[in-house]
Amino acid sequence: MADYALFLGCNIPNRLPHLELAARKVLPKMDINLIDIPEFGCCPEPIGIQELSRDAWMAMAAINLCLAEEKGLDIITLCNGCFETLRTVNTELKNDGHHKEKVNKVLSKIGKEYKGTQNVKHVLEVLYNDIGVEKIKANVQKELKGIKIAVHYGCHVLRPSAILKTDDPFQPKSLDELVNALGAESIPYLRKMLCCGTGIEGIDKENQLWMVHDKLVQVERMKADCMTMLCPLCYIQYEMGQLQLKKEPYKAQFKVPIMYYPELLGLALGMDPSELGFKLHRVKVDPVLQKIQ
Amino acid sequence: MADVGLNKSKVATDEKKSPRIGVFVCHCGTNIAGVINPAEVAEYAKTLPNVVVAADNRFMCSDPGQELIKEKIREHNLDRIIVAACSPRLHEPTFRNVIKDMGLNEFYFEQANIREHNTWCHIREPEKALQVAKDLVRAAVGRASLLEAIGYREIPVTQKALVVGGGIAGIFAALDIADMGFKVYLVERTPSIGGHMAQLDKTFPTLDCSMCILTPKMVEVARNPNIEILAYSEVEEVHGYVGNFTVTIRRKARYVDAEKCNGCGKCAEICPVYVPNEYNEQLDARRAIYLPLAQAVPNTYTIDKTKCIECHLCERICELKAIDFSQKDELIDIEVGAIVLATGYDQMRVNEPEYGLEQYKFGIYPNVLAGLQMERIISPTGPTQGEIIRPSDGKHPKRVAFIQCVGSRDFRPGKHNYCSRVCCMYAIKLARLIKDHHPDTEITIFYMDIRAFGKGYEEFYQRAQELGIKFIRGRIAEILEDPETHNLILRSEDTFLDRVMELEFDLVVLSVGLTPREDVEEVQKLFNISRSPDGFFLEAHPKLRPVETNTDGVFLCGCCQGPKDIPDSVAQACGAAAKVGDLISQNKLIFPLVVPQINYDLCRGCAECVDICPYGALSINERSGKVQVEEALCKGCGACCGECPVGAIELRHYKDSYIYRQLEYLLKGVPERQLEAWKKGEWEPFIVFFVCNWCTYGAADLAGTSRIQYPPTVRLIRLPCTGKMDITYILHAFELGADGVIVSGCLPDQCHYVSGNFKSVRRVKMAQEILKSIGFEAERLDDQHFISAAMADEFVRVVNKFTEKIKKLGPSPIYCPREKSLEVK
Repeated sequence: MADYALFLGCNIPNRLPHLELAARKVLPKMDINLIDIPEFGCCPEPIGIQELSRDAWMAMAAINLCLAEEKGLDIITLCNGCFETLRTVNTELKNDGHHKEKVNKVLSKIGKEYKGTQNVKHVLEVLYNDIGVEKIKANVQKELKGIKIAVHYGCHVLRPSAILKTDDPFQPKSLDELVNALGAESIPYLRKMLCCGTGIEGIDKENQLWMVHDKLVQVERMKADCMTMLCPLCYIQYEMGQLQLKKEPYKAQFKVPIMYYPELLGLALGMDPSELGFKLHRVKVDPVLQKIQ
Repeated sequence: MADVGLNKSKVATDEKKSPRIGVFVCHCGTNIAGVINPAEVAEYAKTLPNVVVAADNRFMCSDPGQELIKEKIREHNLDRIIVAACSPRLHEPTFRNVIKDMGLNEFYFEQANIREHNTWCHIREPEKALQVAKDLVRAAVGRASLLEAIGYREIPVTQKALVVGGGIAGIFAALDIADMGFKVYLVERTPSIGGHMAQLDKTFPTLDCSMCILTPKMVEVARNPNIEILAYSEVEEVHGYVGNFTVTIRRKARYVDAEKCNGCGKCAEICPVYVPNEYNEQLDARRAIYLPLAQAVPNTYTIDKTKCIECHLCERICELKAIDFSQKDELIDIEVGAIVLATGYDQMRVNEPEYGLEQYKFGIYPNVLAGLQMERIISPTGPTQGEIIRPSDGKHPKRVAFIQCVGSRDFRPGKHNYCSRVCCMYAIKLARLIKDHHPDTEITIFYMDIRAFGKGYEEFYQRAQELGIKFIRGRIAEILEDPETHNLILRSEDTFLDRVMELEFDLVVLSVGLTPREDVEEVQKLFNISRSPDGFFLEAHPKLRPVETNTDGVFLCGCCQGPKDIPDSVAQACGAAAKVGDLISQNKLIFPLVVPQINYDLCRGCAECVDICPYGALSINERSGKVQVEEALCKGCGACCGECPVGAIELRHYKDSYIYRQLEYLLKGVPERQLEAWKKGEWEPFIVFFVCNWCTYGAADLAGTSRIQYPPTVRLIRLPCTGKMDITYILHAFELGADGVIVSGCLPDQCHYVSGNFKSVRRVKMAQEILKSIGFEAERLDDQHFISAAMADEFVRVVNKFTEKIKKLGPSPIYCPREKSLEVK
């Protein structure tokens, strides 16, 4: 049983409680012990804040890292954005004495000091590298036979690849293998690596929705039963996006269930669907659940 | 080996008596005389020790000027000649010939550069320029009074040549040398000669069939009685030096008797082992026993022993009993006088992570091909017999895209910056060939710039546009594959229309660039040559010595020297062959003995010099335990002299005593003059600038030629290489009252003696430490600079910056004691 400090971030507890539910219920079954640190704040978000003030961004992230250091725990994140921020800042502070000094000067005002003793991991890494495909396969109770799943990685779990070093940013395979381990089939589809568009949502909502549209078209074309992903922001884009795309000028009727990977894992481990928060899904997942039954 | 051209008894008497020096100052029209009065310099020269006569002339290099020197030599029985004029890089050979005509040893000549290093760059300060000219002439007199005669060595020449690599360049080099009547060994690593050209279908810009023009040449090589083809062989060891190389060659076992095999091919038909076919760029399979191509020369089958399962089926079917599993690799030694390297190139392996080109998905998507693969698909001898089909489904592609500059012109750190020079043209060629076969094919070429620079190339490109081949200027950001159809979607920018777009294609061809052979580093070490930053072999001079290398007797041609097309490869091969002919047609070679001399009383055999010599010219004599010089290998850089901890090695013509004397004369009276100026408030730094003969001296010349003005504060001392730099030179200069010292050599990795510039970096650092430890201002010795012959601006920048620095430090404490006087600990 490995202990991790659970870093929920902002979106999951505020907008997607069912993802938190799935993580808290399913991950311990794979020997991942989640420990809460209530003092955790915003990660903070890796793009806007960083552009505004890189120093502030690093210092704020360092507070979260310090909290985990005090408990002697590695951080597990459920969100790609939190992962990018915390992993990047942790790596930079570990390797760059100049930045470390600067950040510690700020942290000293609240009586904290960054030491660089702990690591930050994405739930994808923990499942793929630490638990491993073989162990997951061995624990599967109910194979998700015949379910075709379109895998979406999300940008910030892979890039900047030189710092994050999670998987090949052009040909990632970890989530595909994790899906296949459940007995389901990860299908190839065009625009698999297309970004969900969260980054431009605030500036150009119309084009962002076209990005979601283009991807969903390909997913439907390959007759996928559902999409799966590990990032709450991608999740929101593809789920909410389907509702928004019903309107002008898109007029598209998509019905692609979006599954959070731990939910799929939970089902495969034999959990009853009622234990998981499927009723909170905005695009109904019943066809998938029926197929599994 | 003998000293020739040197009458030893005469030299001995010459050197005993005091030298009789003649100084000749050139006006160079108004180039010198427009700024200073040469007659005044000549008058001044007369006051210097041992100067018997001094004269000036409008053009010393002209016939009357040369006559003047000859006349004065006769009249005054002169034995050392100084010409104060332009750069010795320009006219040293001219004046050396003049005194040679007069029966003097040519090394009795010294040139003071008062044009490039003085009048051209101090145009507005004639008085100071006059002072600089006097200083330079004085230093030259100091050096000239010690110059010794240097003899020549004579070495025999083996009148045979070795050509390494049997591609188009190697074939032409071998044929040309053989036609001159010399024996040539042509070593080829693969079972057949032909090289990459044998893989091509047609050649640009005339679209003649590659094999149709290549095979006759291959056959000619086989037929030529002067050429011995050593195919399926590799060079194992190289010993010796120019004119006298001994090369060990490994003749790999073919397990087929070349005498008996008639190339019928029954063995390959029965062989059960399939191996990816290199000749067809892995697009189909060959057998473990194979002939690489139908027109192979020699026409002998070869068993690929790494893949053979030893079923011996081939042995049973061969009626001629040519299969011989008992064959072993053979090592043979050959003697040659010259070597031509024509080892060629590899197509970049762009699927490897080092290229950082994952976005092209080469090797992942079946319909993404590399240039040579497309070449094989179009070729009638290729895996599809010339049928243009795509790998995923064997269908004829209707929409084909070419992506240019794949792997080339990539300026991310550690990537290939150079242009591969052939990709634009081969892509256009392939596009036109596809159009010829199937005129309805839509072809788009995505490019950065189209480089159609050769004869007939632009017209070829123009014709492609007329045929409706589309050219879009833009890089491909990403290739996506439709999982159902395996069609490819290219995301690109059209930089002319400023538009991002996505286009769908059936087939994508990457115009992959050229890279040095995988084992280029081993080959480089084997032949002891250099490589340029792009990884290809380095020629001796980029413009004027394009086929020579820094190792005498080793020549380059073809793509091993840099990417080039077939016409250029052939031209360079013919050039290399001509150079080889020039070399090995001589019975003996004559070289001046500008080589190290060992003082055996001092040498203690520590082998420091042996380790540092980049040419392996020094070794420890096993009997005496002391160092010995292989004069034919020595290039005269003098790195060994600077390295010797006991001063037992001296380089002839650049002896330590010459340089000490040059410094002493240069700084004679300078401290007094400087102190006087200091008191008057007119003081300017006096900086001694040690430069290498090849690069920084050339940069100073270029600064002069470009008339870039800089303060007259530096005096240059020419060394063969900064590797010759000795710490004592620096200390001596300071001791004599120099205000500052700079050392500068070639750019890192561009040293003409491999790494001499790095050797002096270490010594300059050490000298700074020494200065610090004795309490002298170490900042008066600048860190080593690297200035190439083209970097006149950088040279001037260094001079300006260092002059400012010394101005702040003030005069040297050696002649101008401060309150805190110099204390020697």
